[in-house]
Amino acid sequence: MRDGPHVLGRRAIAVVVLVVAVACGDDGGAAGAPETGSVRLYTSVSEETVDAVVSAFESNNPGVQVEVFRAATGDLNARIASEERSGGIEADVIWASDPLSMQAWDEQGLLSHGWTPDGASEVADPFKSEAFWGTRLLYMVIVHRKGVEPVPSSWRDLAALEYRGLVEIPDPGFAGSALAMLGYLADEPSYGIDFYRDLKANGARQVASPDDIVTDVAEGRADAGITLEFSGRTAAEAGSPVEVVWPEPGAVSIYSPIGITASPSDEEAARSFVESVLSVEGQETIAATGWAPILPSVEGPPVPPDATIVNPDWAGLFSRQSDLLEEYRSIFEG
Amino acid sequence: MTDALDRARHLPLAVSLVILTGVVLIPLGRLGAEVVGGGWASIDRALFDRDAGRAVLHTVLVAAGTTALALPLGTALALLTERSAVPARSMLRFGILLPLLVPAFVLGFSWGQAYGPSGLTDDLASLAVPGLFGPIGIVLVQTVDTAPLAYLIIAAGLATRSEPDLERAARASGASRLDVLRSITLPLLRGPLVAAGAVLFAASMEAFAVPVVLGVPAGFGTMTTRMYQALQRSAEPAAFGEAIVLALTLVVLAAIVLAPVERSLRHPGSATRTGGPEGSSVGPPRRSGTVLLAGAATVYLLLGVGVPLMAMVLTALTKAAGLAPIPANWALTHFADALRGSAIGALGRSAALAVAAGFALLALGGLVSWVERRPMGRSLGSLVSLTFMLPGSAVAIALIVAYGRWLGDTIAIIFIAYLAKFWTLAHRPLSGALDRLPPDLERASRASGAGRLTALRTITMPVLAPAIIGAFALVFLFSLHELTMSSLLAAPDTQTLAVVTLNLQQLGDRGATAALALLVTVATVGATAPLLVVRHVMQRRMGQGA
Repeated sequence: MRDGPHVLGRRAIAVVVLVVAVACGDDGGAAGAPETGSVRLYTSVSEETVDAVVSAFESNNPGVQVEVFRAATGDLNARIASEERSGGIEADVIWASDPLSMQAWDEQGLLSHGWTPDGASEVADPFKSEAFWGTRLLYMVIVHRKGVEPVPSSWRDLAALEYRGLVEIPDPGFAGSALAMLGYLADEPSYGIDFYRDLKANGARQVASPDDIVTDVAEGRADAGITLEFSGRTAAEAGSPVEVVWPEPGAVSIYSPIGITASPSDEEAARSFVESVLSVEGQETIAATGWAPILPSVEGPPVPPDATIVNPDWAGLFSRQSDLLEEYRSIFEG
Repeated sequence: MTDALDRARHLPLAVSLVILTGVVLIPLGRLGAEVVGGGWASIDRALFDRDAGRAVLHTVLVAAGTTALALPLGTALALLTERSAVPARSMLRFGILLPLLVPAFVLGFSWGQAYGPSGLTDDLASLAVPGLFGPIGIVLVQTVDTAPLAYLIIAAGLATRSEPDLERAARASGASRLDVLRSITLPLLRGPLVAAGAVLFAASMEAFAVPVVLGVPAGFGTMTTRMYQALQRSAEPAAFGEAIVLALTLVVLAAIVLAPVERSLRHPGSATRTGGPEGSSVGPPRRSGTVLLAGAATVYLLLGVGVPLMAMVLTALTKAAGLAPIPANWALTHFADALRGSAIGALGRSAALAVAAGFALLALGGLVSWVERRPMGRSLGSLVSLTFMLPGSAVAIALIVAYGRWLGDTIAIIFIAYLAKFWTLAHRPLSGALDRLPPDLERASRASGAGRLTALRTITMPVLAPAIIGAFALVFLFSLHELTMSSLLAAPDTQTLAVVTLNLQQLGDRGATAALALLVTVATVGATAPLLVVRHVMQRRMGQGA
């Protein structure tokens, strides 16, 4: 190789290319689509939604494989806690159904910090934190049987005499969504934990699963109850004689967070997966399976225009969980 | 030479101890270590807070009530089909075993669908069972659920323990059939009775499906429902510790209650069989009496099993909840939902695992039954039952903590979980039957020149055949229907039946859950029918009559 102006030029180009490559490799912002890799996802989100999101991601990233471990919240927590005590969590990405467990894991340093996915800026502040971001919204609403008169329109109505002995509520010890309700109502000025006393005095019955409430209302074992909007809507669409009411002072929202563990086996792939869930395409996939997407720009299942939606204070709820649950149990279990 | 023989004699004990340590003692020990490491706080929260004492009381009361009802029921049914000239014996046997063939995850709500308010009987005849929610309902439903367990163990015991000469002598001396039953048959059944009672009590202590559906709405909590609630919050270390403490307390409680029972099992009576094993009938003398008893058994089966099953079928067929269960509202959508994805593959995988567990535990159960009759192995039977009393989620947690680093994500860890949890189900029937096997038969064959294995094959095993088949069937069915351990220990992307079922349940799709349970039941019946035929043929060959 002879020295000369064009060789110097080639060297300069090589240096520039090298510098640019290094700069693009790790800028803490957008993760490039990885060529190959694997993501180990632990989730409690329903199978249909997870399968749709995973297959969309895998078709956009042909070299990356996603392994999914699915279990209900309690089992998911148990698995992660056991793995932690056995030598380390095996998961790369955790996708939960409510923020309480995520907050607990974050407090123990099990989630990674220092990176924000691309779509996170569009996620509203109450639905994200430094280490995890909401992916979809679930709403607690009132469900009642068609033809029940009067139609309940606020949470307070459930303690009314007309529904004495005919109301079912989900047990907050069994479902995170019910715990969110408890947390919100306990803080709401005109309700407080005394509202649960009123419910109990009015003969309300507690049930372990919010979905069983929809069945019981449909079959006439109860007239009205508190449940997830998703369950009420899908039952009504299937033909059950139930209707959903978005009550005052507001339907209680729960967000479903996703986050990356502290030491994932393939960080690039994990980040890419999280970003795909928060991307427009990922959100549309989620909406197509029946859940409300978190990005306001993506259209989800219909929400009545006059419906009010409220958020519980998750941070406060997180620190008061056991006390609230104990108070609730003293009311409903004597 | 003698050294080698001596060592060989201790081999079964050594092998049992090694397997016991790996499968039962190490996981339990790791759980205990977790509790100790977590400090007093989790123990305090789990056992000494307001509701803790009440939960313990509820659990023990329900378990005692269920055992007190299910044991006599199972015994009466076993005597009916094995010791009296009842018509349609095979059909009765099938009906009695039906609750075992139906997955437990649907029995809870199908009772509510059948007898609860707005249930089947309410719609048809305005009859609803008051107090279905609460302790009475839980005990009733669990009794029907677990009576087949007692039936299997006692029937296996009846088939091997019969002292026909004693019974005939008593009858010849003027004792009535009832006297024979009371003074000869039942006392000699002590071993299987006690074994069945122990299994019933342990199974009831760690039951979860029925208390959740029937107990929670009445505010009636048990230790298992509290443990589930603790697991919901178990992302927090304190709640995780609480769950483990509750699980271990269940084991300790059950072990304490059953300790005197276990000790009585260690001194089996001896039996001398000098005639054919038919035994004499203890049923009513006149055919009308037998038919009456058979009728009573049928009514029980219809009410306890038939109506809830029908309610389940209707749930599976009806398009949506709340629609009247008439043919106009029927559709196969729920079956389609249940079969969507990999339900068939999952069923196949789970069935293969259950069969493997059945054979493995037959060997292990037989091994322990053999070893506990030797001087050094007496407490082995009790140790083996410890993990049966441990709730499934705790077994899974223990295995992940103990072996997760090496065996996580493999089928081996699920297999070990089944071995740990269901070992006693194979051990008890075999032990109860072995208890009563008279040594004279084997000695006679050995004296006539048969080798040890030939004697085993031609004398011991045919006599034990009902117990062997019963033990295998129990392990197979429990493994197939088991949900929690299979779901917690599953490798990613592995579809077991548990994973498929729990997903349907989580979606709140009761119709699809019922449809899946129906499919599993039909498949199980198809698989178990050959076993019953084999048992029938074997009894014919042994001259015991049908």
